[in-house]
Amino acid sequence: MSSAGRAPGHGGLTGSRIRVLAGDTLIIDGVDCTVPAGSLTALIGPNGAGKSTLLRALAAVTRPAAGSVVFDDVDLLAAPRRQRARLAAFVEQDASADTAMTVASVVGLGRLPHQDLWRDETPESRRIVAEALATVGMTDFASREFASLSGGERQRVMLARALAQEPRLLLLDEPTNHLDIRAQLSALLLLRELAAGGATVLAALHDLGLAATYADHVIVLREGKVAAAGPTASTLTPSLIRDIYGVHATVLENPVTRRPVIALSPLE
Amino acid sequence: MGSSSGTARAAARRPVAFWAVLLAVALAVSITVAVTIGPADIRFDEVWASIASHLGLGTSPLPLLRDGIVWELRLPRVLTAAAVGAGLAISGAVMQAITRNPLADPYLLGLSSGASLGAVSVLLLGAAVLLPLAAFVGSMLALGLTLLLASSLGTITPTRTVLAGLAVSALASAITSLVIFWTVTGDSYREILGWLLGSLAGARWPAVAIAIIALVIAGIPILLTGRLLDAFAFGDVTAASLGVNVSATRWGLLAAAALLTGGMVSVSGSIGFVGLILPHAVRFLVGPGHRALLPLSALVGAIFLVWADTAARTLFDPRELPVGIVTAIIGAPVFALLLARRRSST
Repeated sequence: MSSAGRAPGHGGLTGSRIRVLAGDTLIIDGVDCTVPAGSLTALIGPNGAGKSTLLRALAAVTRPAAGSVVFDDVDLLAAPRRQRARLAAFVEQDASADTAMTVASVVGLGRLPHQDLWRDETPESRRIVAEALATVGMTDFASREFASLSGGERQRVMLARALAQEPRLLLLDEPTNHLDIRAQLSALLLLRELAAGGATVLAALHDLGLAATYADHVIVLREGKVAAAGPTASTLTPSLIRDIYGVHATVLENPVTRRPVIALSPLE
Repeated sequence: MGSSSGTARAAARRPVAFWAVLLAVALAVSITVAVTIGPADIRFDEVWASIASHLGLGTSPLPLLRDGIVWELRLPRVLTAAAVGAGLAISGAVMQAITRNPLADPYLLGLSSGASLGAVSVLLLGAAVLLPLAAFVGSMLALGLTLLLASSLGTITPTRTVLAGLAVSALASAITSLVIFWTVTGDSYREILGWLLGSLAGARWPAVAIAIIALVIAGIPILLTGRLLDAFAFGDVTAASLGVNVSATRWGLLAAAALLTGGMVSVSGSIGFVGLILPHAVRFLVGPGHRALLPLSALVGAIFLVWADTAARTLFDPRELPVGIVTAIIGAPVFALLLARRRSST
């Protein structure tokens, strides 16, 4: 991969020589990647490229066979679990459950790394949960049962749960899944806002258009290897898209937002 | 309480403290009333007086024989029922959370039968001291076998796990029966029924001690992990992302559940469905949060088994039913209901 944009010793997330095996199959094959501090970076690539697997390894929720993951000078693979969970939050793809837990108590799970197991929840943690719900626009749902929510509402609650961890690193696997178009845009705007506020955000996205419009940086994954990485505009070129996805791409400018949009068409 | 509206049900839940106090009082009353019930008529106040005298407070107003019925027969039996009910209910609640399987129960997953086999084996070898330990080993092996079998069928699903548990349970029960049949001369059928269906008929003070020690050693640590169990609701990856040591927590808690089951089975045989139905009943009262669910399940389980055993020893007086028949008559329909609900929800 190119070394452009690699952060210096502090700040940002750096994965080095990450290898992940599933049985005997190599899913992630020696990946080096960087997510600059305070940026929204999109992890893109065709289905089966290993996006989810790489995200889990970077979130240190599954241990890679080899490699290191460093965030803000903290070795995430070696750090105590609770310390890691106070630093980094991870939103799984389709993490769901038919639980009768209320929305507020699901979001309250995000306080787990911050509190003693046997103590009652503090007013502070209730305040943080309320703020997280407000941030994702789910305040009115606080006492609803999680199982009664739609897919999109569940997705927003899981994001609020991650925010309640007060993380400085946020990793999300397809955070726009199940969301309607308006909610997709507001979710990505929220991620941009969090990044602007200093958080480091890495989101796996299957929608190239959303990645082109909203991400500061992209990491392009193909068959378990980084095919390209860097600032979105200079990395996500028509030739790269043709190379990776086998389609013809034209990069245009959105007349309203002045941000890039990608128009796709079949080859020929 | 309409199940149609999640909001209404969540809001209608009373505070946990309300239920805790109510259930603790109900348990104390249940224990005392259950001791008064039986062929020999003993009054409520006589029960308390007898207990007080044995704790060194005054002398018992009861004649020696009647005092013996309270202190040597009925009270230890009722206390054993309470402890076993509490232990099985906690064990069921933990297994449901850890395996994300609403049908999990120490009986249905084969732990109880495995524990029976372990207990019977050492008992007939003449090593009664090792009884709870052997029951624990038996329940661990049965659990391991059930999970192995369930995973060999493909993805572990709740119903596959129950099917695997059924197979393990059938095997362990058959071997238990065989061992007893082989070695016991005389009334081996009663002995076999006692282990396979559960019975508290022989429970005296040593049984109380074993059940309560198991409850303290394995039950109290489980009660402290309520918040961790909540994190398992969304699966291993999410739990790990919240800083939970997933495999250590899972295996530690499953071992604790097996220990609890082993301790209980070694004094009562395999009593079914207590661990299945009572956690579900408590969820209906206070919701799924485990910090409330675990202790309240213990209280409700204790009350339930005290009354189930009272029914077992009095319904067909002077003959006794194995208590497991009573719990199965109540539990099997609830199990069927849970199965039906799973089907309609997916």
